[in-house]
Amino acid sequence: MQSSTILSVQNVCKTFPTRGGGVEALRDVSFSVARNELCVLLGPSGCGKSTLLNIVAGLHTPTSGTLSLEGRPIHGPARERGMVFQSYTSFPWLTVLENVEYGVKLNGIPKAERRERALHYIGLVHLTKFRDSYPKTLSGGMKQRVAIARTLANAPEILLMDEPYGALDAETRWHMQEMLLDIMRTTQTTILLVTHDIQEAIFLADRIVFLSAHPGRLKTILELDFKKGKEIRSKEDLVELSGYPECEREIMQLMRGEAKQEEDA
Amino acid sequence: MTQALRTLPATRAKDTRPKLRIFEFKSDIPASWRLTLGVAVWILFFAIWQIAAWSGVMPAILLPGPGKVLTALYTLFAENGFLGDVMVSVWRVMFSFALACAVAVPLGILMGAFKSVEAFFSPFVSAWRYLPAPSFIPLLLMWFGAGDAQKLALLFIGVIWFLITLIADHTKAVPKDLINTSVTLGGSRWQVLRTVVVPAALPNIVIAMRQMLAVSWTYLVIAEITAADAGIGAMMMRAKRFLHVDQIMAGILVIGLLGLIFDYLLRALHRRAFQYLDEYS
Repeated sequence: MQSSTILSVQNVCKTFPTRGGGVEALRDVSFSVARNELCVLLGPSGCGKSTLLNIVAGLHTPTSGTLSLEGRPIHGPARERGMVFQSYTSFPWLTVLENVEYGVKLNGIPKAERRERALHYIGLVHLTKFRDSYPKTLSGGMKQRVAIARTLANAPEILLMDEPYGALDAETRWHMQEMLLDIMRTTQTTILLVTHDIQEAIFLADRIVFLSAHPGRLKTILELDFKKGKEIRSKEDLVELSGYPECEREIMQLMRGEAKQEEDA
Repeated sequence: MTQALRTLPATRAKDTRPKLRIFEFKSDIPASWRLTLGVAVWILFFAIWQIAAWSGVMPAILLPGPGKVLTALYTLFAENGFLGDVMVSVWRVMFSFALACAVAVPLGILMGAFKSVEAFFSPFVSAWRYLPAPSFIPLLLMWFGAGDAQKLALLFIGVIWFLITLIADHTKAVPKDLINTSVTLGGSRWQVLRTVVVPAALPNIVIAMRQMLAVSWTYLVIAEITAADAGIGAMMMRAKRFLHVDQIMAGILVIGLLGLIFDYLLRALHRRAFQYLDEYS
């Protein structure tokens, strides 16, 4: 397990400076992500999970603690840590193809290879028919697929996703989640995904890193043993699995325990 | 089917036809109405003007009717070489506005993109914005005389400060996530500026230019009325000397029309260049 670690987060603390002395967002968080794993950061609102993801992306700097990818320390954003945001970030002035080519072009890949790579990932997210469309004609789910293809085409070592399906309606969200699992199976990607949706976390995750709130601390790491070795392609597969209800209940109680502490405080 | 899911028989609606009402908050009206109403206001305006001219509330020499003004307009172009004046005015606006844009667009973008640039220029730009440009006319006349340089300078300082501020604000409004997307894809500072910040702000920058071009026309007339030997404003001041109110009004008409034409051209440019936008705003 240790040998396959790709991302390592150690003793990360983050305090945002304010007039009144600062808001502590994260306190001493440590965890790691293994290669080809889908790791989910889960927790109640205010647990700092998005802040933590932004720190991994290099968009925020930790107040203290160290992060490394493949043993190299993380300083600032880089191509190796591509990010998909909750808001729609397809560039409206570029077509789907140009959007997906965008990152590859930034990194100076020659045109022929760029085109080939972009088309491959557009196919992977089922947007081949829309390759020459502008984002204004796409639905929210399609825009997120553009963002995913754009990041994957850039060949990151880890894909960071910040509540990527938070703005989508329930049915679209299922399709997107199922598609993400498909992509995981075919592309050997490592993903670190933030969500507050318990079912989404259980469905997608190989492992769940659960954070508690105010300040964000590591509460527990959940290995989803009941899913091991099972072929799960759809939401229905998941809810029929023995062990699923218990798992969901356990996480709900974790969330509720957090909420209760908040009320007591 | 279970009782709980029993479907209810549809009740007959009384009258489903939507009633067209003239006064309805924020709801759309048919295109034909819009056109009719838009034309109607002008017909009304010319009618009132004509009636006022006929009624004799003012001497005919001070208030000529619309017909007389149109005749004067024709004479101006056909016999008095008015086209030359118009071209001089158009050139002054275009040239000074191009100069203003050449400074304001890069500076505004940099101010909107980088807090450090904003912190340096913003106190300066804001202060100048509150100085009315016409207050510089005496100074400009002494520095540059009554020639073109004085007009261009007035037009330039009349729009530049607002143009910078508007462009900086539009640049600031570029969503942070778009910038971070490029950054996490490996974009350098220069790449982010060139491939995200500029294209994302550009549609609104063109709108800001459209708004400030209208202001530029205002200052043009002020500049030409104070001292000029050519231009639309100069023609109007000549006409005043000879009590040619019809020519003054024809001048106003031409300035209004030119403003409309420029506005329309920039609007068309915006629509063509930014077809990828959701809707024209």
